[in-house]
Amino acid sequence: MNSSLLTPSSSSSSPHHLQSPATFDHDDFLQNFFSSAPWPSSALDDDAPPPTSDSSLAGFHHHDVDSRNQITMIPLSHHNPNDAVDVNALYSGFSAGSLPFHFPQGSGGGVMKQSHTQTQSQATASTTTGGTAATPQTKPKVRARRGQATDPHSIAERLRRERIAERMKSLQELVPNGNKTDKASMLDEIIDYVKFLQLQVKVILYLSLVLSMSRLGGAASVSSQISEDAGGSNENTSGENQTAAKMTEHQVAKLMEEDMGSAMQYLQGKGLCLMPISLATTISTATCPSRNPLISAVKEAGVPLSPNAVTTPLVNVKGASVVTVKDASSVSKP
Amino acid sequence: MASADKPINTDVPEKDVFALHFLQSLSNLRRQNTFDSPEKTNDRVKKIKKAAYVSMARAAGGTNRLWSRALLRRAAKENNKVVRFPRRKKRVTCLRRRSNRRDPVEEEEAERLRNLVPGGGGMGTSKLMEETAHYIKCLSMQVKVMQCLVDGLAPK
Repeated sequence: MNSSLLTPSSSSSSPHHLQSPATFDHDDFLQNFFSSAPWPSSALDDDAPPPTSDSSLAGFHHHDVDSRNQITMIPLSHHNPNDAVDVNALYSGFSAGSLPFHFPQGSGGGVMKQSHTQTQSQATASTTTGGTAATPQTKPKVRARRGQATDPHSIAERLRRERIAERMKSLQELVPNGNKTDKASMLDEIIDYVKFLQLQVKVILYLSLVLSMSRLGGAASVSSQISEDAGGSNENTSGENQTAAKMTEHQVAKLMEEDMGSAMQYLQGKGLCLMPISLATTISTATCPSRNPLISAVKEAGVPLSPNAVTTPLVNVKGASVVTVKDASSVSKP
Repeated sequence: MASADKPINTDVPEKDVFALHFLQSLSNLRRQNTFDSPEKTNDRVKKIKKAAYVSMARAAGGTNRLWSRALLRRAAKENNKVVRFPRRKKRVTCLRRRSNRRDPVEEEEAERLRNLVPGGGGMGTSKLMEETAHYIKCLSMQVKVMQCLVDGLAPK
């Protein structure tokens, strides 16, 4: 069986996503923000926060709330990137930004004040602990508002945020490369992983058919069927990006029907190779025991063209092991 | 709205359950028709693909999971069969709908997820996450099962 070969690089897709919300004429707004508030860049150790601020700012501005209040809130939530409350802080930051949604019926001035005090209370809550029952001690004005603020809407909203955060955490453990703290890039990873798995199922299915049919002699028709079907499903799912995996799949399917040797060469050009299963498992356990690499070892049936290719799997190793894969390619070359 | 959050159950049955369902569906296919002619590979591929997904849905949770339900419904629609599922927890869903469950900041991503996971259109975002986790587990289990099968069947 062949697995899907290249995992789509999320790094190429995430900047696309993160910058598209920020492009709607808020450049001057962002300039003001960056000039006014000192950005705590020393406290941040990953490159995610600036894009996060972009997307979150864009999201906040989208709500048409007094921008200055939102600006002062963001550095607070980003002050603790390494805490366990980081995810909570981000989420309460998001939820505070969306709170104005719940008060469109209120009076104009009252709305602003309510949302302002609410965001402040939310911010303080988020920086202290996970913000379910935090009570600000400073302003009595805030307390009076909080009586109205703890109506079912905001409670439900907060609860919903926490639920989503909880589930995101469990998803994070499932998906390899789930060490990203940024919610948006984490979602990108999840989406890519689901696509990858679906593709894998399809590829294994199809290529097993190819191999079985090649024995019967109908390989060409099945390969064309594969390409056609893969192309059709590409249009169905999303027109945005045909990932590298799908293109590779097409190519490999086409090449396989002609000549195994050329298929292997194509794969080696892509940085993958065919190697015996034992070697693959040895490499995987040796190089990245702690990480969770996307290894899908696949076995191919004996193809009459290349006698050495009997029971050689197709391996896609992500991350640090790619180098060793390339080294081992010389071993498996017939 | 219920304030307590029940512990999320994303247990997936063992590999053999998946393997059993898959093999059963394949043997059903085999009994139904004889496919050796190359002209019908189109149908054959589609049937096998559908059998794989349906068996995975059945093995994964039957009708207890939203995504498997949607998958089975979709597959049955192609066969022109009407599938009925027992309605459960109707009251809770009514309550949940009252709250503002969509948030435009993350909705873009959620939309993409909804397109991927079967049955994602009718779910709130938190439910979607839960279903995605289970779906991912089941997909990986299915992949492992199919790999083992093909490995076992490949000639030396």
